[in-house]
Amino acid sequence: MEAKTGDPLIRLGLLEEALNLARANSLWPLTFGLACCAIEMMAAGMARFDLDRFGAGVFRPSPRQSDLMLVAGTISKKMAPAVVRLYEQMPAPKWVIAMGNCAISGGPFYYPNQYAIIPGADLIIPVDVYIPGCPPRPEAILEAILMLEEKITKRGRLRKFRDAKR
Amino acid sequence: MLKDKLKAALAPLNLAQVSDGDYAKTGYHLEVAAGPEQMPAVAQAMLDQGCFLESFTAVDLRESFTLVYHFASFDELCRTVVHASLMKETKEAKGAQAPTISRVYPGADWYEREVYDLFGIKFAGHPNLKRLLLPEDADFHPLLKDFGAEPGND
Amino acid sequence: MIEIGIEEKTYTLNLGPQHPSTHGVLRVLLEMDGEYITKAEPVIGYGHRGHEHMAENRNYQQFLPNMGRVDYLHALAYNQGYCMAVEKLVGLTVPERGEFIRVILSELNRISSHLVWIGAYLLDLGAFTPILYAFDDREHILDLLDRITGSRLTYCFYRFGGAPRDLDEEFITGVRAFIKRLRSRFRDYESLVTKNAIFINRTRDVGVITRDQAVKYGLTGPTLRGSGIAYDIRKSEPYSAYPAFDFQIPIGEKGDVFDRYLVRILEMEQSLRIIEQALNQLPNGPIMADKVPKRLKPAAGEVYQAVESARGEFGCYIVSQGDIKPYRIKLRVPSFGNLSILPEVAVDTLVADLVAILGSVDVVIPEIDR
Repeated sequence: MEAKTGDPLIRLGLLEEALNLARANSLWPLTFGLACCAIEMMAAGMARFDLDRFGAGVFRPSPRQSDLMLVAGTISKKMAPAVVRLYEQMPAPKWVIAMGNCAISGGPFYYPNQYAIIPGADLIIPVDVYIPGCPPRPEAILEAILMLEEKITKRGRLRKFRDAKR
Repeated sequence: MLKDKLKAALAPLNLAQVSDGDYAKTGYHLEVAAGPEQMPAVAQAMLDQGCFLESFTAVDLRESFTLVYHFASFDELCRTVVHASLMKETKEAKGAQAPTISRVYPGADWYEREVYDLFGIKFAGHPNLKRLLLPEDADFHPLLKDFGAEPGND
Repeated sequence: MIEIGIEEKTYTLNLGPQHPSTHGVLRVLLEMDGEYITKAEPVIGYGHRGHEHMAENRNYQQFLPNMGRVDYLHALAYNQGYCMAVEKLVGLTVPERGEFIRVILSELNRISSHLVWIGAYLLDLGAFTPILYAFDDREHILDLLDRITGSRLTYCFYRFGGAPRDLDEEFITGVRAFIKRLRSRFRDYESLVTKNAIFINRTRDVGVITRDQAVKYGLTGPTLRGSGIAYDIRKSEPYSAYPAFDFQIPIGEKGDVFDRYLVRILEMEQSLRIIEQALNQLPNGPIMADKVPKRLKPAAGEVYQAVESARGEFGCYIVSQGDIKPYRIKLRVPSFGNLSILPEVAVDTLVADLVAILGSVDVVIPEIDR
């Protein structure tokens, strides 16, 4: 988090850890479906996969009210200025998840003669978590949210059980 | 039979070719070849018979363009394809301009803008000939056969 | 920009390209007189990925996965249209069982597409419950399709000459159970939505499309059938195994938003009928044509193949010059014509009505932008 917003002026110690815990468990995503991955993002918020139990189910239409941008879909060159503008309109602290192969690296649309897309969201905005897949399953989105929570709080979730098999 | 009514309606326009299509192989019932300047009259004749504009596109044949119009009807199965050959602009000859059919079929407005966007073909009389799919400040037409490879993407 | 004149005060409002109605990235420039719209101009192209240019740089098999991404909600219909067009060019015949499999899977996909539409549309209008019901039903379909095709959303299942994998017993029993379940759920949709007074108030007599407009703009699909014109490619230009089934084409009367909604609900029931009949009449036999060439090199010529997708007529126009790569592929997508009628229908409506009309046209922006 320091890398994005610069070194914090005031160190609050344990309060910072509490703040990070609060932020991680109530990530409010921006509704930003560009293409096919948007449908899987919607499905992740619905009854079977239920993003809401992780606190991240309140999708906000306005960037001013959200702190997570889920780039779901291909970024075309016409859309790129809008993506950057929306990212800049979000208040800090903010995070970005690149969902789907198109947002990671251009996906199935990247080939030498491609004239229309930006091959990857991290060319224009900083990305925290990448979800591969075309489209990724909603369970992968849940895993990405949990991974982002780990990144924010710098604590693992039951890491000793999860990493035991590695 | 709609096909015969269409043939009768197109007869007075003196088109280069009006013939039956091989439906099993190509999906067309009627194949028509016309000049681009005859298109508004052809479109009016098709509209009078109740046909709608199914699709409109262009093909870059290196020395010339072919404008391809598809018409069909809600009431009876009869697909008509109209090929119109358009000469390209070269150093010797000024390229031909295709007139718009959006006065007859307002739905053709967007199709013609798309063809202009992708091929650079201008339509005389079009109310709003701007780019449709590419950014407004793009300076290339991607579906031309000599559109070269872009070195990387930004 | 506010212009104050003696008689008119209009201002420009920009809707999109990022906005909560998740139809994709559409931008609509509105000129408003108070809350009434005087001019609506859709700006598209934010999802342009260059499918038609990719087609000229890929051979026929390599282009097949693109078809699932053009309209991802009814990807199997686009798969089918493209495969049929190439099969016509090459001269392949799909065996009967393969055609039945294609029909069953496409109709299941059509139902899931209409369910997504109902959920998202009612979310636009402000109702949060129907989307949960719709997506729950859709998950059941996706489980079934996932078993056979391996994907949940952007299918790439049909091959030139048929289907690569056969249906198994568990799939067939699953589909029969699903049909029974969805039929009982229709009662829920009827009481939640169709008979809902707020919904009827917002959609009755809004966004009326006349027959004349439909012909001039080339509308197809439920957007057209709401205006009382019974044009459905499955009946008007039958393809694949559809001639063997008995089903109806629901049409509306007035051409308003409510009629377009009702057409889609009734179409889901008709799709269930088709699937039932297909399962009962499923023939035995091979699912792929024999002697499909590994490297497809169709003879020079052109072909146009139309299929009925959930949004309307999808047409695949292929020009071949005898090479392994197509010379030109044009994808005629239904949302392109259906959206172009918006400037005419949206004049003199409220912004809230514009959202209702835009949703009822059922556009998928990546298919318009290709």
